[in-house]
Amino acid sequence: TAGNKILHFGACRVSMSMAEIRAGFTAIKANIQARDSIRTLSILSYPHSLHKVNSSDRCCITHHLFNFYVDKVFKHCRTEDSYVNRKISSIANSFLSMKRKLGQCHEQNQCVCGQESTEKFKQILANYEELNVTSAAMKSLGELDILLDWME
Amino acid sequence: SGELYCSLLNPRNVRFESINMKNVLHWSAPEGTGNGVLYRVKYSVYGVGKWIRKPECRNINRTWCDLSSETSDYEEQYYASVKAFLNGMSSDWVETTRFNPLTDTKIDPPMVSVSSTDKSISIILTAPEKWKRNPKEESVSLLQVYPGLQYNVSVLNKKTKKRWFFSISNHTLVVPWLEPETAYCVSAQIHVTTPILDSGFSKEYCIATLKDKTK
Repeated sequence: TAGNKILHFGACRVSMSMAEIRAGFTAIKANIQARDSIRTLSILSYPHSLHKVNSSDRCCITHHLFNFYVDKVFKHCRTEDSYVNRKISSIANSFLSMKRKLGQCHEQNQCVCGQESTEKFKQILANYEELNVTSAAMKSLGELDILLDWME
Repeated sequence: SGELYCSLLNPRNVRFESINMKNVLHWSAPEGTGNGVLYRVKYSVYGVGKWIRKPECRNINRTWCDLSSETSDYEEQYYASVKAFLNGMSSDWVETTRFNPLTDTKIDPPMVSVSSTDKSISIILTAPEKWKRNPKEESVSLLQVYPGLQYNVSVLNKKTKKRWFFSISNHTLVVPWLEPETAYCVSAQIHVTTPILDSGFSKEYCIATLKDKTK
């Protein structure tokens, strides 16, 4: 479909509706980020930016992150605003299909996890667990552009 | 010495205005205040959170502050904040929304240069450069920042008013099979696919094709 993009992670190729996800997030970005008043912590960028991750570990980190967003973020991000909720669930659906595709790569050993990706993901979980679930989930959702910028 | 301040209305509409990653903080004066209001500015890197004062924007009376240098790492995101002072009164600190230089900047149109033969025109497009601290610093094209950068090119036959549109990733374009001795006008726009960013169209650059050599 329009706006689909083939993301290459070594032997693993995954088609993703990047433009759709970007548009959905842009529509709710200000709303979601305004709910996050904690400036001293970033789930994805602390202490090191995702951009510092080795390229060989990109597939594994991406696989971990999609699992993370599907299992620990979207389901805790309900708001009082139905428009925002609809956008969140649309993004979540895109992530769900991506999670499956990356899972297949993982099963076919095309998405090997090195030490760096394991350490990085441990740090992301540690950052997440520093906050209560709702705050951590909302902060993670507000950082979606960090993930998308890095992936692209 | 301790300074005693009563409360003043807040600065309004505090936001970043960014063009080619020249990131300038702008705001409006507190409602109902005329001249004499002074401002202080601070900024922070998202995830670090420590507020850093901007000395060059301490006690200024203008309503903008260039934070391009402080926000030049576009892999980070930022907040900035402004406080107003007047006659011993001060406002609250008023913050921007989270600023992401990569997605929140505007991009200028490309530079366009055209040349012609009798039956074709050649177009060379140049993407703008990312803001840099000083002219001696190495230039970074926005093409390097946005690998998905493309150009939309419009070519207008001034005689027939017929217009073509091209979407190209390359920075050169040759338009063949044109009419000799005819004026054509070219305008171009930058289109970034990820993140989604579009410049405006450049002004029109017009050129005439030459006389038909075969005649």
